Amino acid sequence: MTDANAKKTDAKKLQGDKLTEAEAIEGAKLGDGEAFQCLYNLHKRRVYSLCLRMTGNTASAEDLTQEAFLQLFRKIGTFRGESAFSTWLHRMSVNVVLMQLRKKSLPVVPLDDAMEGEEEGVVRKEPGAPDSRLAGSIDRLHLQRAVDELPPGYRTIFVLHDVEGYEHNEIAGIVGCSIGNSKSQLHKARIKLRELLRMNRAEKATTGRTGKR
Amino acid sequence: MRYRGERVVMNCFEFERVLPDYLEGEHTAEVQAHLNSCSSCSDLLADLNFISSEARLLQDSADPSPAVWNALEIQLRREGLIREAVVREAPQAGPSLADFFRRRRAVWLVPVAVALVIAGGLKLSRPTGVGDTNPVARVDAPAPATADSNSVSNLESTPVSNEDQQMLSTVAARFPSQQARYRQNLDQANSYIRDAEQSIRNDPNDVYSQELLINAYEQKQMLYDLAVNRNGEQ
Repeated sequence: MTDANAKKTDAKKLQGDKLTEAEAIEGAKLGDGEAFQCLYNLHKRRVYSLCLRMTGNTASAEDLTQEAFLQLFRKIGTFRGESAFSTWLHRMSVNVVLMQLRKKSLPVVPLDDAMEGEEEGVVRKEPGAPDSRLAGSIDRLHLQRAVDELPPGYRTIFVLHDVEGYEHNEIAGIVGCSIGNSKSQLHKARIKLRELLRMNRAEKATTGRTGKR
Repeated sequence: MRYRGERVVMNCFEFERVLPDYLEGEHTAEVQAHLNSCSSCSDLLADLNFISSEARLLQDSADPSPAVWNALEIQLRREGLIREAVVREAPQAGPSLADFFRRRRAVWLVPVAVALVIAGGLKLSRPTGVGDTNPVARVDAPAPATADSNSVSNLESTPVSNEDQQMLSTVAARFPSQQARYRQNLDQANSYIRDAEQSIRNDPNDVYSQELLINAYEQKQMLYDLAVNRNGEQ
């Protein structure tokens, strides 16, 4: 079967959301509206979640989701399938978010150590703080809130590495920092998250005690 | 580091300095020995591992609102990425909302939509009274010239306004096989309008919802436009 015939066959298979991703990509290249919608439906959750985690703001996340898909669809004619479509889209979404963060003058990766007074990788001890572990006392919602509270630079690296699964060398390429910087930021982000989660847990415990009186 | 006999003994400060490397997989006997003897540091390690593992749960945690696709589709048509010329070869029941949009997009629709929003706003600000019992948003759009309300009476969807009924009648008369699809898209547009109106009712300064309302009216206006023009073309 020639390429042209294969494309024609694919076009004949198009039936709303029953499209496979490959069929939808070919359909979108031809300008088919439902093929675009199918691709959107397949990947919207992943892209939106990424945008939401990186910005911590639903309105911005929706704007960025729209922008990411728009950029993708504008370039869909150039997609040749060398990499997975989801990888391509994901990278584009990350770039869109980072671009937006830069426009807002939020430091993606602070050049200086943002945790003033702390040495690289060193955790300050909390005298008198309970040492019980977090496991079992926090859920996804707590973690989500704490991630949203992270400074933008830490949040970006944490989301890319721990949430999205990028390696440090990939993050360095995407964000434009050194691998060492990426590792350092990630560690600080995790430490900061631990602080936030422990603080939230302590506040919750205090509120609970006060409420019982 | 202190030495206890032959063994190197690490303190907490030293542990925390090598912790990032440890988390990256560089395990040493000294670190392990410290972890075995220090509950504070082993708690710290457990927490960081816990945070890292739980983070994956945030990967696909939320869906965008339907308005995102709505706005995206409009933009794709505006830019000509969704092309009018593409017609499915596979058999289908009738045109989708996307089909409507790909065929025609008149520039004058935007000011018309804005006017409709203003009219909608006036309607919202007016208390409900006698004669205002229609359950769906009223659209002051020009109705098609031809109408045959009997031809769509067998549809089992939500009630529609008289104007909508006239449009559906036109479609029923001219494209009976696509009647259900038109109705489906009309219901969808009405649903968007209702949602946006509700949001504006809750917060009259909600610019985002106002924009959504404009988009929804644009969609509906395009349905009318397509029905009338396709009717005239044939």
